Amino acid sequence: MMALLASPHPPTIFCALSCKRYHLGPRIRSPPPSLLLLPARNLSLVLPRCADGSAAAADGNMEKKDEAVPPTRPLESEKNKQPHQQQQQQYHHHEIRDGSVVKAQALKFEDTRWVGGTWDMRQFRKNGSTDWDAVIHADSYDSAANGNNGSDGSCGQQMWQQWKLRTTAAVATEAADRSSDSGGSSRGRLLVAEDPAVLSLNSGRNYTWSNNGRKLWALARSSNSFLMTEEGSVHCICGGGSGRKHRWRRENRDIKNLKKLFEEMTLYDKQWLATWQDDAPGDSKN
Amino acid sequence: MASLSTTTSTAAGDSLRSFAGLRRETRILRGVAAADAPGSQLRRRQLGVVRASRTSPRLNGRKLRVAVVGGGPAGGSAAEALAKGGVETMLIERKLDNCKPCGGAIPLCMVEEFGLPLDLIDRRVTKMKMISPSNVAVDIGRTLGPDEYIGMVRREVLDAYLRGRAAEAGASVINGLFLRLEQPEGPGGPYRIHYNEFSPAGGGAGERRTAEYEYAIAFQERVRIPETKMEYYKERAEMYVGDDVSPDFYGWVFPKCDHVAVGTGTVTHKADIKKFQAATRLRAKDKIEGGTIIRVEAHPIPEHPRPRRVLGRVALIGDAAGYVTKCSGEGIYFAAKSGRMCAEAIVEGSENGSRMIDEGDLRKYLEKFDKMYWPTYKVLDVLQKLFYRSNAAREAFVEMCADEYVQKMTFDSYLYKKVVPGNPVDDLKLAVNTIGSLVRANALRREMDKLTL
Repeated sequence: MMALLASPHPPTIFCALSCKRYHLGPRIRSPPPSLLLLPARNLSLVLPRCADGSAAAADGNMEKKDEAVPPTRPLESEKNKQPHQQQQQQYHHHEIRDGSVVKAQALKFEDTRWVGGTWDMRQFRKNGSTDWDAVIHADSYDSAANGNNGSDGSCGQQMWQQWKLRTTAAVATEAADRSSDSGGSSRGRLLVAEDPAVLSLNSGRNYTWSNNGRKLWALARSSNSFLMTEEGSVHCICGGGSGRKHRWRRENRDIKNLKKLFEEMTLYDKQWLATWQDDAPGDSKN
Repeated sequence: MASLSTTTSTAAGDSLRSFAGLRRETRILRGVAAADAPGSQLRRRQLGVVRASRTSPRLNGRKLRVAVVGGGPAGGSAAEALAKGGVETMLIERKLDNCKPCGGAIPLCMVEEFGLPLDLIDRRVTKMKMISPSNVAVDIGRTLGPDEYIGMVRREVLDAYLRGRAAEAGASVINGLFLRLEQPEGPGGPYRIHYNEFSPAGGGAGERRTAEYEYAIAFQERVRIPETKMEYYKERAEMYVGDDVSPDFYGWVFPKCDHVAVGTGTVTHKADIKKFQAATRLRAKDKIEGGTIIRVEAHPIPEHPRPRRVLGRVALIGDAAGYVTKCSGEGIYFAAKSGRMCAEAIVEGSENGSRMIDEGDLRKYLEKFDKMYWPTYKVLDVLQKLFYRSNAAREAFVEMCADEYVQKMTFDSYLYKKVVPGNPVDDLKLAVNTIGSLVRANALRREMDKLTL
């Protein structure tokens, strides 16, 4: 999970996929819509294997890719309630109007990296380290395929969320550091709660609170900030406080600066009183 | 006087002598041989435990003997006060014609307190000019009364005079180099002092040694300038502030009898002292043009009080104790005053030389000195920290010195060595003006940075 930090921004990978190869639609940032683009990549990995690695399969890949690029086919066969359903359905209709042959049911996208009920991490190795992006891609796609291979997408989702948390935390830390140089005042810094379950929006658009959520709310209020939710995770925009991790760092540095200032101010006094300090009892001589 | 004649009659050249008895020295002692004073003791809890020594044993058949190492203003005035109090005193000085590089400014109160003859004072400065880094000049001294001035002396003249007075009072002045000190073997035992004695004919100088403590250097050139330019400095002294002149002090041009002393000092950038001196000369260029440098001198100056100023029957006074103020770097008066205070404490503690003294008596001098002058030192320290930080702060400083109230307070406290609480309303105005000046200076600096290429 920590390796997410090392990987470049997943969105750009999605963009790269979209812009360079498929010239499809606008940039897409969150996993579910990007599933539109995902299959192509996995397909290229998957299909050759399915086709026993024959050279001809490469061409077959391209063809199949073109066919599969409107990726709604595997999706539309499922009855998932993803918010982008509209878009996919539209796409699907478009396809039907075109009249191209759609063999939705026939295509069963198998990902050979899914081994025995979980992802085989060894197959995700790229350049000597794990390609977490590929893991996210595979998992998200697979879950969109409604557990085609058995995954429910939670793995990819979680990793995606973690990545998001970490980048925003990094940004917030940087902002906090910069602001602490100017005295610590800042507006709109981001506190990202690591626990996505603190606040959940139920169907009646009421917030239900977990204990952590209550604490966070109290924290937000005390630090003159407000909470905002996004896709099940909590973001807290702080006006006067910052994340626990970098607040501690800021406090630490402030304390050090204050200590240095205090020492500088009292050094002369200490020098004057030094002669009185070592006056231990019984110090006199006759 | 007897001992002085014996020294002249004995051999020329170096001869080691051991001197048994009490003395005061300028080096820090290490190690404490503690022993409780016998009998009842008065304990007064103030800054520390101070014990009176009325129960000290009487000295039989002889007076208390005190040695003073170093014959500057501190040593000279201490020896004089001791001798006057009936204590047998030896004053050891390594260079009797030493002119310590020093601005040479003495406050008015010193003239009165120490009864200095007026012909000792080369110049009476009534106008001070402070020049900021951007060469904004401010005249200070408008508030001085007709009889108020800052006296400018040559150190060789002042020191010799004070030593002469000590000799007249009965102290023996020995031209010798202090070598080392021996601790007493047991309580009440004598200290042994070893020194090299120089023959008066030879006029020894000896080497100068500095302790390994943080210190400043003062660097000074005596410049003889043409008479016409000397007229400008007849009653005027100048202080130049700026990063170019010194990062933590100021450069000065002080008038002496027939020449001026141009100098500067620093603690933090001692290696660049020549550069700072050149910058000072440059700043005063027009006014000292055509002058010739007749003497170059430099000396270490203490920049804070030493951690132990009294130990056993040994006490530090003057520069050795570190009594040079921050910000203005004034040391002559405090040296002389501390010498006198210490001597008075000894005279009192020994009941005019008839009893042995102990550390408690010496601590009384410390207590008195600290109580009287610590506020002055503290205020100057704060000023230094506040106003010597940067060129912008120095500009603010000079701007503030233009204010009459500031001048009055400054001069009153300098000339009479009393930190006088002024009118609270005026003090508040002063505080506000200080902040305003500092803010303005920094704001201006930013504007100037924008303009500068």
